[in-house]
Amino acid sequence: MAEFIVMPKMGLTMTEGTISNWRKQEGDTIKKGEIIFDVETDKLTNEFDSKADGVLRKILVKSGTVPVLAPVAIVGDKDEDISTLLNQAAASTEAENASEKQIQEAQIGQLKTPIAEKGGRVKVTPRAKKVAKELGVDISSVPGTGSEGSVTEQDVRNYAKKNESEKKKTSPVASITAERLGVDINKIEKSSRIMKKDVVKYKLSEELEKYANPQEFRKPMSTMRKVISQRMLESKRVSPTVTYNIKVDTSAVKQIREDIKEETKVSYNDILIKIVSEVLLEYPLLNSSVDDNEIIIRNYVNMGFAVALNEGLIVPVVKYANVKGLNEISAKAKELAEKARSNGLTPDDLNGGTFTISNVGMYGVESFTPIINQPQVAILGVNAINEEAVVVNGEIKIKPMMGLSLTADHRVIDGAVAAEFLSKLKKYIEKPGLLLL
Amino acid sequence: MKIAIVGGGPGGYVAAIRAAQLGAEVTLIEKENLGGTCLNKGCIPTKVLLHTSERIEEIKNDYDKIGIEVCEAKLDWAKLQERKEKIVKNLTGGVGSLLRKNKVTRITGEGEFKNKNQLRVKTEHGTSVTVDFDYAVIASGSRPVVPPLPGTDLPGVITSDEALCLGEVPRSMVIIGGGVIGAEFAAAYSALGCRITIVEMLPKIVANMDQDIVKSLKEKFIKKGIEIHTSTKVESISRTSAGLLINTSSVEGKRFFEAEKVLLSIGRRPATDGLGLENTGVKTERGSIAVERNMRTNVSNIYAIGDCIGGIMLAHVASAEGIAAVESIMGKKTAIDFKTVPYCVYTKPELAGVGLTEEQAKSEGYDVKIGVFPMYGNGKAVIECETEGLVKYIADNDTGEILGMHMAGPRATDLIVEGALAIRLEATIDEIISTIHAHPTISEALQEAARAVHDNPIHI
Repeated sequence: MAEFIVMPKMGLTMTEGTISNWRKQEGDTIKKGEIIFDVETDKLTNEFDSKADGVLRKILVKSGTVPVLAPVAIVGDKDEDISTLLNQAAASTEAENASEKQIQEAQIGQLKTPIAEKGGRVKVTPRAKKVAKELGVDISSVPGTGSEGSVTEQDVRNYAKKNESEKKKTSPVASITAERLGVDINKIEKSSRIMKKDVVKYKLSEELEKYANPQEFRKPMSTMRKVISQRMLESKRVSPTVTYNIKVDTSAVKQIREDIKEETKVSYNDILIKIVSEVLLEYPLLNSSVDDNEIIIRNYVNMGFAVALNEGLIVPVVKYANVKGLNEISAKAKELAEKARSNGLTPDDLNGGTFTISNVGMYGVESFTPIINQPQVAILGVNAINEEAVVVNGEIKIKPMMGLSLTADHRVIDGAVAAEFLSKLKKYIEKPGLLLL
Repeated sequence: MKIAIVGGGPGGYVAAIRAAQLGAEVTLIEKENLGGTCLNKGCIPTKVLLHTSERIEEIKNDYDKIGIEVCEAKLDWAKLQERKEKIVKNLTGGVGSLLRKNKVTRITGEGEFKNKNQLRVKTEHGTSVTVDFDYAVIASGSRPVVPPLPGTDLPGVITSDEALCLGEVPRSMVIIGGGVIGAEFAAAYSALGCRITIVEMLPKIVANMDQDIVKSLKEKFIKKGIEIHTSTKVESISRTSAGLLINTSSVEGKRFFEAEKVLLSIGRRPATDGLGLENTGVKTERGSIAVERNMRTNVSNIYAIGDCIGGIMLAHVASAEGIAAVESIMGKKTAIDFKTVPYCVYTKPELAGVGLTEEQAKSEGYDVKIGVFPMYGNGKAVIECETEGLVKYIADNDTGEILGMHMAGPRATDLIVEGALAIRLEATIDEIISTIHAHPTISEALQEAARAVHDNPIHI
């Protein structure tokens, strides 16, 4: 006995669901418990398994959102007459679409969308069916204007006439050339007469496409990618940002690395974590978070630093960097980076960051606009160090200059504060001895 | 939008009218009469001469055949000249009223560019007027080329300009250059009783046209007693008691000709001097103004059209270019389809061609299929005693695309439009065949030539 498959109600609050993918096609045999389509709600994606055995006779909703308990398909025996169910479904989708359709009609000014596409079925008068056959018209693409959107004889005639007038004007040589080259002349887009050169041009572009063999693949996002994607989007939505760029002379930092080389090897990044942590204590707004109408100010710095992985990006946190020595910072950063690459980070290694440093200098980038790692309010982008000619006391000197790109959330950090922070940072990087004070 | 047009020939005046139609404020500057070379010294007056010469020939050769006895037919040269002047005046006057009707301002005088937005015009009254413009179209035309030969400055050595208004029909004339202009003057003066010798440096006369149709003309010329010497170079011109002595050389050696007049018709060259182009930065290449496809020069608000850009020096090409230039200025997209330019020679038989010649089509790599139908197979041609000539269709063997049509015979210059239209619309030879051609007409020969492409003409 044929029956409807309806949109399942998968939770108390669920009012509608979206069909994202049919696992079965019309005509497929389905068994009880077999997954036949995927349903998405605003919260999750579920698989729908069949409650009946039979043949999937008709898919009423190929994709899209419908209310719960709305019919989405008909299941029944192979040769069973399902016309009653089809009529019922058409009537219900008709009613469903009525208001929406009116709006659409008003917008487009004419009925353009073929009804078949809407998940219903085409209602056709017998005369219309006969005329369509005579004129060789595909009835499913004829918009209907009769009662309940049914297709009338006149609709078919109008459609055929319109089609005729839109037929391409083509020069005789172009027609023959198209035939010789195996080009479908209807595919050539041109409002005026199609000439031989249009056909040749089209053929060449077809050949090019064949040669290039363009292909697209789809793959599901990894969990990490999904998280990054959502958090980046969220950050863009939440934070009104401004990015500030400054150039810093790294001669002194270079000297420090040189000086302590015998004792310990530290990276530019380690030194930056140390210096930025110090400066952040002087500018606590950059180290803050926003919670509703309150600003959370901290007396400590948990410094996040972005680590690029094959499948994405992760930001481990050096806790209380403001009280750690350079050696300690360096060791911790090394350990965290190692763990990140070997997939060994614990939630504790990732939580609690108050500021982030993102270094893309090794790729030669000179400036960029990093996105804030929420719920933080600022992020420091570190760019490449390049030897540059700099004028010092009226003389040209060559200095290793590094660009810093600070993105700050204007909800809490005004331009002056950000600029002051950057200039202080510059001062400390260029004269690290000040940190000894 | 202010547009200044320099030159009132078939390029300039057509451009002026089209620009005015599109709403521009147009000033046309012409130093002489409107109509340019075409109306004053070219197409029109030569055709007046040719018309009379053809009628005289007909009376002499054909009238007894068709049952008209003529006691005496005599040329009234003075009256012919008068008629020619009258027709020219009539037509140039017509151009003037067309310009007035379209509210084009006309200044008579020589225009010279002061800069990219101003022209200074020295008027006929000796005053000077400055014309400001947003856009200018240069349509300054061309002049006959006088070759660097000893003796070209002798009296009796003339160009087409003078050949149109000789005091009397000369007894003999050597025509240097057997191109279209030379051939037409040969036909005209030969029929009026002048002994003609054509000296051509190239191996063939009317070399730009399909040689199958040129052959019809050549045979007719020889029959009329016109001497043709191809691959022959003129060395010098000097004086003798009888008039002028023309010293030539060829592989066969030196040869001398004597004649009362020598007509220099080796070609025309762009007339671009005195325009003040140097004040605008407009570039020229070997005397021709260089233009892009839409007729724009290297200076963005200055366009050039017609003979002054070199290329195909034909009135109808100049007109098409004039329209394209002003339409481009007025923001329309216009492209000229040069494939459809007809070439016409107003001799008897008339020659006309459009598209590729057989030779050109083959050298472009087409697998060509030719259909030829001789004029003597056409009933109307027989009635009109004009059985010389043929129609030739050239089609692409693969697609049947019409690549060229060439014709020698009665009204060829009018009938060539069938070929031009066919090429423009990319018709195949089968569309010509399936188009019903009226009977009895010369045009039937066109349909038969098309059938001949498939080797199945009906009437031969």
